[in-house]
Amino acid sequence: MKKVTVPEQSTVEKAVRHAAAIGVAVKESVYPLTATVQYPRQRKKMPDNFRGYILFDPEKCINCWECAFICPANAIRMKEAPNKKYYPTIDYGRCIFCHFCIDSCSGGALRATKIHDVAYKDMDEMLTLTEEMIEPPEIIREDKKLVEYQIDEKDLRLKKTREEDNLIVEKAPPPVEIQMVSQCIDRASCIGCHVCEHVCESGAISSSIANGVMRMKIDTDTCTGCGLCVKECSMQILTLVRK
Amino acid sequence: MKMVTESEWEVNVPDKQLKDKVYFENLKSVVIDTEMCSRCLTCAAICPGGITVVNNKVDFPDYETKCLDCGACVRVCPRFVYEPKSGLGDYIEFTAGRSKRFAGQDGAMVTEFIVSAMEMGLIDRGLFAGRDENWATEMFHVRDSEQLTITTLGGTKYTFADVLPELKKAVMFTKSGVGVIGTPCIVSGIRKLQQEFPIFREKVKLVVGLFCTENFHYDDISNFLKAKGVDFSKLVKTDITKGKFISTMTDGKVKFKVTEAEDIVASGCNVCTDFTAVESDASCGSVGSAKGFSTVVVRTEVAKKVIEFIRAKGHADFGDADPAQLDFLIGHKKKRAENIKR
Repeated sequence: MKKVTVPEQSTVEKAVRHAAAIGVAVKESVYPLTATVQYPRQRKKMPDNFRGYILFDPEKCINCWECAFICPANAIRMKEAPNKKYYPTIDYGRCIFCHFCIDSCSGGALRATKIHDVAYKDMDEMLTLTEEMIEPPEIIREDKKLVEYQIDEKDLRLKKTREEDNLIVEKAPPPVEIQMVSQCIDRASCIGCHVCEHVCESGAISSSIANGVMRMKIDTDTCTGCGLCVKECSMQILTLVRK
Repeated sequence: MKMVTESEWEVNVPDKQLKDKVYFENLKSVVIDTEMCSRCLTCAAICPGGITVVNNKVDFPDYETKCLDCGACVRVCPRFVYEPKSGLGDYIEFTAGRSKRFAGQDGAMVTEFIVSAMEMGLIDRGLFAGRDENWATEMFHVRDSEQLTITTLGGTKYTFADVLPELKKAVMFTKSGVGVIGTPCIVSGIRKLQQEFPIFREKVKLVVGLFCTENFHYDDISNFLKAKGVDFSKLVKTDITKGKFISTMTDGKVKFKVTEAEDIVASGCNVCTDFTAVESDASCGSVGSAKGFSTVVVRTEVAKKVIEFIRAKGHADFGDADPAQLDFLIGHKKKRAENIKR
């Protein structure tokens, strides 16, 4: 068995090493190398596609209910508005912030923000009504510094700048480009009820009658692939296909 | 992935008799108001708006504003352009059967037909008219023969069932096909749907018709039976045999002549000449065979395959049936052609 002994050092060597240790201590006390963000005085810079609080724009909503259908946590309920349209409400007690609703929103009515720190008094308050989703929620901002993690050659560093982050993403990151378009798969079974034409928000479906024959047409260029007509077709003969 | 091909198509628009009115008003004036309507509900099945039944009559509340004016109801209504059918039709086989597996009215051959077709893989569901404790009909999608342990699914109800609106749902759900049971008017409605819309041609694989002289609206027959002293909570079976309406209860029977119920026969039945459901794949009924057996008239190859399957598996006993015994009722219904005023 070998015993580990203190290496033999000269007095000068010892002095140099002690000085170096004191130097590190002084440096850490003046400019600490910590990875902790001092929230709420500091706020971490979130990426633009951060999945936070969800905003809603009723002007862009096409009433397709897709957000409510796709929500895996059943957090979205549709409520009837005074204008007879149905708009989403989100129960943040259930929401898992997957943002499937935002990804599936074909009208672009739902929008992500970087807000992740909304406080509620109780569970009931977490049910966010449509009106409350239009404007960003009130949150108390105490942050003076914006912190960004940076990895340099040696270490992880915190880059701190004296600015306030805009938590509302002005320009959303481009959605995944899968262009879908509505198509009739059993044209002979069409009853010609024009329900598809009535519900189409983009005016892509048109019809004309001449000599006892109704001609239905889907304009593949203007069709946004929202799927409203697919849902409403009473014969279920419409489907979405890749453009 | 399906490629986008043509995105234009054409739909034939039927002619209107009342030019400036919506199609439902046309249907109403030609069929419903003239008491020609059989209440088969083919129109309600296809209507994307709101054709429904109000006070025993097919109606569309607020049709002036809500009718989409597509003309589908007029296209599928078997009585809008009425071609009365009667007789036995061209049949391949005329026989009598008694199911060994099921209990129903007489030989329970209708149930046997649908279940065997399901076992053959021809269809994946059959539509049965069940009933609640007050003998009001409700539709069931039967996907497994075990479901038929619900005894209320078998047996005749003598009141209208909403078969066709349910058939449309079944057609939307089904993967391989649907089997359906119906009175002659319902069978005509199905054939009309199949003629107009390919989706029904593809999905409705087996149509079993029932021998039918007339049918009653639920309110009418239930009030009538209650007046005769029938207690619905004890009622187990209703049957019309040799001109007598027999209500079998757990503690006895109430019998009266069918002619007594003449006044409450649904108006559409007065112009119906079809007794055997001529347009069906196979039709069944008690007339023409011995007690405990059902007469089976096989008309198409599909039904022939099913009956051969039943024979091969030994699911039913077969006996003799006499077409001549049906002549009286066929003739009786044929006379109703006089009531058609057009």
